[in-house]
Amino acid sequence: MGSLALGGNRDDGRTLVVVFLRGGADGLALVPAVGDDGYHRARPRIGVAARGALRLDHRFGLAPELGELHPWFLAGKLAVVHAVGSDDETRSHFVAQQVMERGGASASGGWLGRWLRTRGESGALGAVSTGPEVPDSLRGAPAATALGGLLELEPSSAWSALCGSLGGLYGRDAELGGAARDALEAAERLGALRSQGVRAENGARYPGPADGEVARRFGEELGRVAALIRARVGLVAACVDLAGWDSHFAQETVVAPRMRALARGLAAFATDLGPLLSRTSVVVMSEFGRRVAENASLGTDHGRGGVMFVLGGGTPGGLHCRWPGLEEDRLDGPGDLPAVHDYRDVLAAVLARHGSVSAIAVFPGHPSAPLAV
Amino acid sequence: MTLTRRGVLVGGGAAALSLLALGRGSRAAPVRASPFLVPSVPEVGLVEHVLCRCSFGVAPGDRERLLAPGGRPDEAVDRWIDLQLEPGEEEAGLRRSLGRLESIGQPLGELYEWKPEVLLRELSSAALLRAAGSRWQLREVMVELWSDHFNVDASKAECAWLKTADDREVIRRHALGRFRDLLRASALSPAMLWYLDGRSNRRATAAERPNENYARELLELHTLGVDGGYTQVDVMEAARCLTGWTVRDRHRFRKGRVELDSALHDDGEKRVLGRRIGPVGGAGDLETLLDLVAAHPATARHVATKLCRRFIADAPPASAVGEVAAAFRRSDGDIRTTLRTLLRTEAFRAPEARRAKLKRPFHAVASMLRCTGARTDAGPPLLAYLRRMGQAPFQYPTPEGAPDVASAWKGTLLWRWRLAMALAGGELPGTSVDGGTLMGSAGGAERLAAHLLGRTPDRAERSALASSPVPLAVLLASPAFQRC
Repeated sequence: MGSLALGGNRDDGRTLVVVFLRGGADGLALVPAVGDDGYHRARPRIGVAARGALRLDHRFGLAPELGELHPWFLAGKLAVVHAVGSDDETRSHFVAQQVMERGGASASGGWLGRWLRTRGESGALGAVSTGPEVPDSLRGAPAATALGGLLELEPSSAWSALCGSLGGLYGRDAELGGAARDALEAAERLGALRSQGVRAENGARYPGPADGEVARRFGEELGRVAALIRARVGLVAACVDLAGWDSHFAQETVVAPRMRALARGLAAFATDLGPLLSRTSVVVMSEFGRRVAENASLGTDHGRGGVMFVLGGGTPGGLHCRWPGLEEDRLDGPGDLPAVHDYRDVLAAVLARHGSVSAIAVFPGHPSAPLAV
Repeated sequence: MTLTRRGVLVGGGAAALSLLALGRGSRAAPVRASPFLVPSVPEVGLVEHVLCRCSFGVAPGDRERLLAPGGRPDEAVDRWIDLQLEPGEEEAGLRRSLGRLESIGQPLGELYEWKPEVLLRELSSAALLRAAGSRWQLREVMVELWSDHFNVDASKAECAWLKTADDREVIRRHALGRFRDLLRASALSPAMLWYLDGRSNRRATAAERPNENYARELLELHTLGVDGGYTQVDVMEAARCLTGWTVRDRHRFRKGRVELDSALHDDGEKRVLGRRIGPVGGAGDLETLLDLVAAHPATARHVATKLCRRFIADAPPASAVGEVAAAFRRSDGDIRTTLRTLLRTEAFRAPEARRAKLKRPFHAVASMLRCTGARTDAGPPLLAYLRRMGQAPFQYPTPEGAPDVASAWKGTLLWRWRLAMALAGGELPGTSVDGGTLMGSAGGAERLAAHLLGRTPDRAERSALASSPVPLAVLLASPAFQRC
């Protein structure tokens, strides 16, 4: 195995971080349309009052729990896209996530995987997921590593001997050989990172235990991504999950702590990176939004259009939405915000800043019409 | 099939067969001093395939037990399958280990007296102890499969208290029974009613909107499958059929009890999959709905696909799925009959199927214990490995359950290697492998390799073993051991 290559030899300096809000995050909770009467009519009990939201424009505000993101919006470093989603009409979590992570119903592998492949060579830590598994979006990537708790690995001579033997045995295994090579290389690089430690910079404060386990873990995972970016291990794409948005019941108790976790975590990440934020794009997405009208149990059911955020990486910021309105005849199916914008038009715009790659190769079958985000 | 018994296995003959008096103590499986049977040929044979695929690993002594009644290997295999489909008592050692996990036997009403973290820990330990130590391995495999099919994440709301009852009363009770019974038990399981919000699915007035969560997963995941031909309207109508079924959450002694609140039940006429349900069906709406979806051809196909994916291959051949689906339909969803058919399909018995599945993390961990006869409390240090690999029992976050294809788990190799290292090095608190005795009772390093790999080691494996300071770790971490 070669040198640790922490000097940036494979790093062209740009990293894409995809934060996936699993469970169908309610776009109208994240970014309530407080200037639209229809919103208050549809959500008499769980809605946000106009004065409670942080103003984005005459119609939209940020949920108060997302307060720590507001300064980044005002500074033009955060773009908000509303009524965005997939052209697939499914309201199944599983199918919607799969379609979205593939980048289209007819695509094979994941959109990030295809993107990484078209970019060419990538190291063992070219693509990581901070969770225990590699998400579908990274399927087909030249290398993808689930970080999990790998930073805890302790080196020992018996371990090195084992790795030596396994390198040989897995080397001839067609199915597992690639994964084994990635694992061996990642262990080595992370060992180096481990000896240097993960420390936030620029006074950034990631959520701690006092903010709850969901927030703490999200913050810890973002902190690790920031450390990998700073360590210049050649990180091109990172996937971070923030799960549990499926708010059928008592929405407030589900969504509020996750919104706080999201805002606090992203604000700390952006601060931690400092000037590196201009070379790091964060995209926040979810498989679908939720039904416009609240249900009987103070929750919302699966819907369609939702919200996406783009932070850093040279985004012009701002609010992007061709708002359909919330009158019944404007809604989709059982009463859902339509997906006016396609999530791939947001991703394509971001990818364009991360190297010249044909959008059609990444999103086959989708006519390219990137949004100005 | 031209294999003879001597062709598949070598071993201690009569001495090995005397091992049939098995199992004391908290060992995952017993290790005895005399050599136990191990494979003696370079390809994985039928006996080895069946033992490995229908279990959480082949324990020392398993081969003798399968072959004990004598006869041809394929007959012995059929007999073993029949026996496994009618499980009896567990051995005393496992019963004692499980007995120490007090909460798993507690009735529903008592579960609320426990701390949720204790319940989850004991339930997880019990799952691992059974997988590693039960002599009724096929049942344990099916318990795992149904636990995914009817996934309940114990970290959601009151599932923390209720999953223990769900595991016992729903999954374990019906694992080898009738699908319709399993489905009904799950539909009315308090844990499921919490997990998929069925408990708050109500329609007291025409203006109220039912909570569709459970109804959707019932159709999409539990029965017809996502391409099963239902529509959004079917989901909404099915949800109406289920309105009013709720879980008591106040009265102390009745907490967790499931009942129909007729005032919250929508008793109007519904139409699901073209069939009229109600009006004024009351509690019968649920039964009519479950009859309808359990007997639907798409359900047979969906369940058969899942079973074939577990037992045959990640992408099982359509012919096998068709055969198994037909058996499911013919037998009215009898799980034993369906499995018996599956385990006799050509696709299952074909040499290509052997060692073609990547063990999922839970399987990999259980098999490390089972195959080495480890002594274990299946406690937190071991459970931590499962969490890191993304398969902590009863904690899969989304309703579709943990995936059963290799691509989802390839990223977990590093952790398997770490665990192999920790086990072989005696560094795992609460779990120990007596490597010396194991090697001795296997009859040497090469035979131990054959035991763990399911065939004699090839040249590369031999040389890796010969040169390694940690041969047991190499075997447990090897690519061949990751497959079943």
